[in-house]
Formats: sequence, C-alpha cells, structure tokens
Amino acid sequence: MDVIRHHFNGVTGIVERLHALFDTWESGHSFFAGVEPDTIQLLRLAVHEWVANLVQHADFSGEEALITLEITPINGRLRCAIEDNSCGFPFRERIEYQRRTLTPFPERGMGLLLLNAATDIVEYAATGKGSNRLVFTVSSTADSCLDIPFS
Amino acid sequence: MNFPIEQAGQNAVVIRVGASLDFRNASDFKAIVQQQVDTGIRRFILDFSETNVLDSTGLGSIFSLHRNLSSSNGHVMFAAASRPVQVVVQLTRTYKVFRQFSSVEAAVQSLE
Repeated sequence: MDVIRHHFNGVTGIVERLHALFDTWESGHSFFAGVEPDTIQLLRLAVHEWVANLVQHADFSGEEALITLEITPINGRLRCAIEDNSCGFPFRERIEYQRRTLTPFPERGMGLLLLNAATDIVEYAATGKGSNRLVFTVSSTADSCLDIPFS
Repeated sequence: MNFPIEQAGQNAVVIRVGASLDFRNASDFKAIVQQQVDTGIRRFILDFSETNVLDSTGLGSIFSLHRNLSSSNGHVMFAAASRPVQVVVQLTRTYKVFRQFSSVEAAVQSLE
C-alpha cells in the first residue's frame, strides 16, 4: 500500500509548505489516482484546519514543532494521520464546546467543527512517546455538513 | 497581502480574493472591506477564481462583512468560485446566504 509521509520542522511558513506539497501531489496525479478530486480538496481543507490550529493555539513547551503528515489511499478514500509534539488538548470536549457556543454567522470558533464536518475522525490521542496523533478519513461521498446558524 | 478592488457600479465593488483567504490574511481582508463600507459600498462581489484556500477564519471574515451589511440592505456575492471554495460552500451550506455566480461578469450584471 502506497503511503505519503512528510515531516515538518517548525511552524514558520508551514501553511505555505503544506499547500505547495499538495500542489505537487495533485499535479503528479499518480498517488491520488482513483481518488475523487473533491476527496482531495476535503483532505487539503482538513489538514489546513488542523495545521492552522497548531500554528495558532498549540503549546510546544518551547520546543521546535515536529509535525508528521501521513496519507494513505484506501479504496477511493484517504486516511490521514497527523502527529505532533505539542502538549495536546481535550479534542472532543473542545469540539462540543465550539458546537454549543456557535453564534449566527460566527467569526471565529469554526475550525475544529469544519475539520469534523469534512472528515470521519477516527481518533485523537497521545502516542505515549511525547506526541499526539490525529487520525481521520475523508471521502467526497460522505454527506456531512457544518450546521452554521444563519439567523 | 493585497486584495485588488474594482468599482462595479453604484455602491458596488469586485474584490479579487487571490490565492488564499485564511487565518494568515483574514484581518487584512476585514480592514480593507471595512474601508469600503465606510465609503458607502454596500454590495461586494468576491472573485474566488484564483483561490486555493478558504478556511474557517477566512469564512468568518466574510460572515463579519455580511453582519456589517445586513442592517443596511447590503450583501455579499460569490463569483467564479474555484473548486476548493465550492467544497467549503457546500460543506457549510453558505450558498443559502451568499448568491453564487459562475463569473464576475454574471455577478456584475445581476446588479443592474
């Protein structure tokens, strides 16, 4: 089974580096062969939201951020694992808090909810080796949405 | 980051969003559109033809503009949404709020 694995050291310019990688992977076509274009876009969005969350909120305890991205195509779906050396946070509780406090036309607080809507979250947990690992799958055939209040 | 702006009729402008509208430049976008609102602009056509990234913070900045305009009968329109933007629009069902046009020209024509 083919797997893409990429390591990022530090968060400076990481979003630019991430999207440049996706541009390269998408233009090559070979790795994502057989995967719907919208599935790839959902993956790009989900990874962007998670990395944006790390850049803006994660506590790396003064250490250099070490982030590993791993993508595996499985029968038209994409499985993604993102591991980082931050202190982590109570993921499920934070999502539930964002969901409860979502106001009409919110300006902030949608990032994890958008990630959750774009993916099937498998797990977010400490690895036991000083890092945390988010695992999810994406598929354009899933019909989920982020239920934003519009009034 | 820069967001080029063109007049598009009375109280209307086209804003070229460019490659990204996300947590890195959303505050710049808010400042620029606020300047336009302060000069009386009430109709905003957002050109997403070259946009690879629209994230939750970028969308939030558009929501902020929408809230800002709602009391004065203004509105925001999406034009030429790229595939990454269409994915976000579908996922968040924001097509219910922001009219979608296949091109900037079609959006401008709708103003007449």
